[in-house]
Amino acid sequence: MTSWVDVICIVIVFLSLIILSNHRVAAMIGVFALQSFVLGLLPFFLHASSISSRDIMIGLVTMILKAALVPYILFWAIRHVSMRSEIKPIIGFGASIIFGAIVIAGAFWVSLSLKIPGQPASDLVLPCSLSTVLLGFMIMVTRTRAVTQVLGYLILENGIFLFAISLFDVMPVLIEMGILLDIFVAVFIMAIVVNHINEEFEKNTASVVQSNMGETF
Amino acid sequence: MLTILILMPFLCALGVLLPVSKYFRLKLFGAVSLAHSLFVASFWKEFPPSEYHGFLVLDSLGLILLSIISFLFLSVSIFMIGYFKHELGRNRVFVTCLFLLLSMMTLVAVSYHFGLLWVAIEATTLFSAPLISFHRSQQSLQATWRYLLICSVGIALALMGTFFLAIAAHDVHTLLLPALLKGAPLLSVNWLKLSIIFFIVGYGCKMGLAPTHSWKPEAYGQAPGMVAVLMAGALTQCSFLALLRIAQICNKTGLTDFFSSILILSGVLSLIVPAMFILGERNIKRAFAYSSIEHMGLLVLGLGLGTVGLFGALFHMINNALAKVVMFLTAGSLAQKYGSASADEIRGVIHIYPLTGVFLIAALLAGTGMFPFATFHSELLILNAAIISKHYLMAAVGVVCLGLMFIGIGKIILNVIHGQPKEPLLAKKENIYMNVAIAMAGILLISIGLWMPSPLEKLLHNAAALIVSV
Repeated sequence: MTSWVDVICIVIVFLSLIILSNHRVAAMIGVFALQSFVLGLLPFFLHASSISSRDIMIGLVTMILKAALVPYILFWAIRHVSMRSEIKPIIGFGASIIFGAIVIAGAFWVSLSLKIPGQPASDLVLPCSLSTVLLGFMIMVTRTRAVTQVLGYLILENGIFLFAISLFDVMPVLIEMGILLDIFVAVFIMAIVVNHINEEFEKNTASVVQSNMGETF
Repeated sequence: MLTILILMPFLCALGVLLPVSKYFRLKLFGAVSLAHSLFVASFWKEFPPSEYHGFLVLDSLGLILLSIISFLFLSVSIFMIGYFKHELGRNRVFVTCLFLLLSMMTLVAVSYHFGLLWVAIEATTLFSAPLISFHRSQQSLQATWRYLLICSVGIALALMGTFFLAIAAHDVHTLLLPALLKGAPLLSVNWLKLSIIFFIVGYGCKMGLAPTHSWKPEAYGQAPGMVAVLMAGALTQCSFLALLRIAQICNKTGLTDFFSSILILSGVLSLIVPAMFILGERNIKRAFAYSSIEHMGLLVLGLGLGTVGLFGALFHMINNALAKVVMFLTAGSLAQKYGSASADEIRGVIHIYPLTGVFLIAALLAGTGMFPFATFHSELLILNAAIISKHYLMAAVGVVCLGLMFIGIGKIILNVIHGQPKEPLLAKKENIYMNVAIAMAGILLISIGLWMPSPLEKLLHNAAALIVSV
């Protein structure tokens, strides 16, 4: 069922592009949840003939943590209305898309020269995961809001996971669970810090420019 | 044994989440740190057996780090008894995070699987972040955010490196260290090279090596003194252990030259960059943070410079940790006494707090590697290694940068020691617990500078042999 793996890889890159071009934070979180859900589907299509309990477990845990709990925490962190839209990104939305396209082309070009030993599930896995990592990185550096930077980090992690899930079975399941748990705790702590940043800004800049709320630098 | 050592602080972390008194938490933290260090001391006599099918193993490299961690937590726990006498805020989250940090750092020191190592190092990043913003203010939250974000991305790159390593080890089918070393000829060289680059960038980010060091002055400047000690002395060196583990693999696969050249480059950069910024710095803690970048640079430089340098780097791990205790605990106690760590606010330390003044001079000498502190010897070993391997220019650059560092830190500290204080002070008396914690590390640092005990020398040689075994 290689074709389904291909579809999933491409959908994940497209969803990252959508997040890159969006300016409403709530919509971005929604698209991220969808992306994580699609990522969680991947283990079920990898070994089409025999789905092992390991695949089911990783798929389900990915979906529960990344497609449900993480978006929930992020929505909690932005419950203040003034946080809901990204303002003045360092690179405009149109330019972001063009840069995004260049980044994707670059990722495909780089992965031409890398050969994965053994039988990879699909040729698209490596370029797509590299593109997602780079797009996530781009979101992190070009956006000024704390919560959008967290989203960028999460997309970067999704890219790494796309790579990890589809390529090999070297990691023991427990350690993969540990990695997922770590990322979950990371988001949890980041959300708390975002929340504290908001509170501090509310305390100190009640009369000053409200539009700076949630900005980090 | 190892499981107990990891679980004990972990369970205590859950325990102190309950509504118990502030002082009970501190006492429990002290007791657990003491128990931890007694356990670790017993490991010097005999290594504990490996656990969980070789996932948890303590070897000589791990023991060096574990001893450092244990000592640092012990001195911090003593210091905190004094610190929280004058601190009105609550400490529930703070002590919980400290316990979790101790647990995860112990796991770093004993994990023998690259995936597990990553999980543990990421966890140390996460649990140290809330510690930085203990005094919640805009600056400290900003510092926390910067630390969290830069280190999370760095660590994510290291995760990528771990997966690349897994591809390289396609024929070995595991990421356990002994299996990788044994199956070294089976590793795919190209993927291994790629993973080495990601590892150095990722874990180097966490160590605060030069291009990705920008979180360091912010975080150390805002964090309370004892947190800065744990971060500069233990947390960054946890990532250095990861680099040492990779050095073991590189040595077996004949990639040492490739690995060393990257390390030397980032090491030299980490010497030059802080030396450029130190002269304009006015904050004691931030100045010490630049010194910490410098020390991390020396560590990777030593690792990149072959046998002599490696021995120096391993010795420097211990000295750096002890020097950081003297530096940041003194800075922390001063910051509490004067309400700021800025050199413009602090004046006349030697007249008002004679003992703290002495510690401050000790911090200057220890931090910049002056005799009789042991940092002098390890820095000399690393510079010596540069000369032996005919990197004369690098040795010269190193000496100049260390000299600039001395001038920069010396300028601030001499300013602070003399003069008249501006305002009446909060705490008039020196605190015995704080002073004991600082003096303990200082005396230890001087004594290993004057005379190296044979068990330590043996441990260092054994650890070096793990990496450059013929």
